[in-house]
Amino acid sequence: MATTTATISLSSDLLSDSMSVSADTTCMKAGTTADGLDMMDYGYIDVATGDEYDILDANNSGLNTNKANKVYLANHSTDETFYITVAIDGAIGRLYAGDWMFIPWGCVDQHDDIEIQAYGGTNTVCYALFHEGRTLTAS
Amino acid sequence: MATTATISISSDIAPGFGGISNTMTLTQAGTENDIEETTGFSRRRFAATTAKDLIIMADASLIQETDDNTAHKVYIRNVGDGKGTIDKSTYVAIGIGDVSGTPQPIGRLYGGDWMLFPVSGVDGEDIVATPENDNPVVLEYVMFYEI
Repeated sequence: MATTTATISLSSDLLSDSMSVSADTTCMKAGTTADGLDMMDYGYIDVATGDEYDILDANNSGLNTNKANKVYLANHSTDETFYITVAIDGAIGRLYAGDWMFIPWGCVDQHDDIEIQAYGGTNTVCYALFHEGRTLTAS
Repeated sequence: MATTATISISSDIAPGFGGISNTMTLTQAGTENDIEETTGFSRRRFAATTAKDLIIMADASLIQETDDNTAHKVYIRNVGDGKGTIDKSTYVAIGIGDVSGTPQPIGRLYGGDWMLFPVSGVDGEDIVATPENDNPVVLEYVMFYEI
């Protein structure tokens, strides 16, 4: 079994007593307890301003819907005023320079692309998709 | 007053993949100033397949309404039944929208899984949770936000 683990350490001193959270998970295929995700896509790309782009395309990805796909997305820009908007059909939020996100991606229908748009200047984005496999489209 | 989040991903799927490690300090939009508001760490138990708002952007669940389209972040984890049993094969669907409408699905958070993501904070773009079945399941969550 392929093994992919994702660990987070979250700490904050906003409260009167410091908060610290740690969690890890082994990324399994949907509905299973012993079969790990075994495929991945990984990329690093500059995103120019002006248009919204599908960084992960639900329509053409050949991914089965409602699976346990996991997506990591990070904005590696260094200017704190730069950001990308992230949307899955509708708006999710903004990833500013230095920010990252990690989510399950249901890829429910063809409109559920992961869409990003750059603001402030050209943003450098890293992405990783862990999944159960895809059906390739004939060329 | 800093809030930091570090992710580490390791995988043996692809030979040569060195993993991912990344730390972010949660800052206010467009600045290097630390984010200053939080809901605090919370826990909520579900026992039905009914969709529920986990975080409502426009009401007293946040005490103060969020500023729209800034640098808010939400962390959610499915901790199973909350009594130590985590079923990796069942999930809570997480979406964004209004529970009375048709929330936009993000994905399925299986037992033990966690997610951290930015949110717009716009009214009506709430965080909606829908368990797969009627078995008890607990979500732990926290939101960091701007006002």
